[in-house]
Amino acid sequence: MGIIEVTNLKKSFGTLDVLKDVTFEVGKGEVVAVIGPSGSGKSTMLRSLVNLEQVNGGSIAVEGEYLVKDGVYANPQGIKRITSKMGMVFQHFHLFPHLTVQENLELAPRLVRGEPAEESRRKRDELLRKVGLTDKKEAYPAKLSGGQKQRVAIARALMMNPAIMLFDEPTSALDPELTGEVLQVIKQLAEEHMTMVVVTHEMGFAKEVADKIVFMDNGEIVESGSPDELFHNAKHERTKSFLHRSLK
Amino acid sequence: MNIDYLINITVPMLEGAQMTVLLFFIAIIASLPLGFVLTLMANSKSKPLAWFAHTYIYVVRGTPLLLQLLFICFGLPIIPVIGDYLVMDRFVAACLGFILNYAAYFAEIFRGGLLAIDKGQYEAAQVLGLNRWQTTTKIIVPQMVRVALPAIANESITLVKDTALLYAVAVPELLYFAQTAVNRDFTIAPFFIAGIIYLLMAFVLTLFFKSLERRFKFE
Ligand SMILES: Nc1ncnc2c1ncn2[C@@H]1O[C@H](COP(=O)(O)OP(=O)(O)OP(=O)(O)O)[C@@H](O)[C@H]1O
Ligand SMILES: [Mg+2]
Repeated sequence: MGIIEVTNLKKSFGTLDVLKDVTFEVGKGEVVAVIGPSGSGKSTMLRSLVNLEQVNGGSIAVEGEYLVKDGVYANPQGIKRITSKMGMVFQHFHLFPHLTVQENLELAPRLVRGEPAEESRRKRDELLRKVGLTDKKEAYPAKLSGGQKQRVAIARALMMNPAIMLFDEPTSALDPELTGEVLQVIKQLAEEHMTMVVVTHEMGFAKEVADKIVFMDNGEIVESGSPDELFHNAKHERTKSFLHRSLK
Repeated sequence: MNIDYLINITVPMLEGAQMTVLLFFIAIIASLPLGFVLTLMANSKSKPLAWFAHTYIYVVRGTPLLLQLLFICFGLPIIPVIGDYLVMDRFVAACLGFILNYAAYFAEIFRGGLLAIDKGQYEAAQVLGLNRWQTTTKIIVPQMVRVALPAIANESITLVKDTALLYAVAVPELLYFAQTAVNRDFTIAPFFIAGIIYLLMAFVLTLFFKSLERRFKFE
């Protein structure tokens, strides 16, 4: 059984069907890369997992608990409990600009969990060391580069000890020379067996780090499999032509 | 014209200025939070609440403050039947008028501040598990204040000058004593002194808001 199980997920914005019967699962410790053309529903799918979008049908279960079952959502406490198992990293970071790096990290654990200050400080120092930003802990986000901001955003999500990390194009807003430092951090998390779902346009990264690749097009999962299967033995013409275009 | 004379006319003007300052503080301390409440109402999902707030803001901003003050001081008391219960001390009535008026302006400023906040801020807060109250107080308000601060500073200086409207409802303040001295002594010096006192107040306010803006720069 997967740590995340998504079955027959449906979502539309007005008359636009953005997710049409999406089914997939993520195993514990697995790294899943989601690829696909713009507008194919990758972000919507990811956002549904943390209840930033409400679906119109289907089920999402995390660690065996249903966030939504056949289109019916859990109660508010249930939603809170289930979504708190996941950390989310956005394309545009969304750091809190009025808080320093360390305040960004400590805010949620202190406020939401009532975590003791020493505990938050210890974890914050450990995570800042991990993402290589110990010297920036007093800085405001405005003073950081894009790559640094994204590393802070990753550390901020990790502060809540999520079982799963979700990334929505974590490097798409970065200058090319800054993507490496962010991908490096994600790679390190993969080595530590963090369960992750990464929406990405970085094919090289997907190939190297992912255990499984999911190709989405037009609101559907066209096919999924190991990087080897997808990159070298894609079954569908749509997958082949997308990869062909992306790898050029 | 000698120094003694200037001191003699300045002293009552400074006493009048106390009224000005008092009104200023009462008005600003009450109208800022009230303005924020109006902003929340205007943005609320409840249609009647939003409608009320928008209409209130529209009416208050669309009519002269002087009219509103005259209405509260001299209009309310002559309403049949209930008018007798609406007679207020002139200064209290003026404070009420200023608070109600400035709340509408501040509401509009805050609304602009809220619009400037990226929706990603709400999403990041939600994903981290913050509830609505925590998101509003810890994430949204501080950023809104930063955006709104320059406009609030402007509005505060306008408020200092608007206190001169007390004159119209016959509450003796700075300008009243200046006018009295001008009529009595047939000299324009009191007007200059009054101007200098207003400028000083505006200057102090400007310094205060500059330092606040520095604190809210987040850099
Ligand atoms: N809030 C919304 N309201 C209306 N339509 C939306 C909304 N969000 C997304 N869409 C539409 O849903 C479709 C899927 O969007 P989504 O952002 O999930 O795609 P994506 O695969 O993440 O694309 P990209 O690679 O450009 O990020 C698009 O056609 C988009 O225009
Ligand atoms: Mg997207």
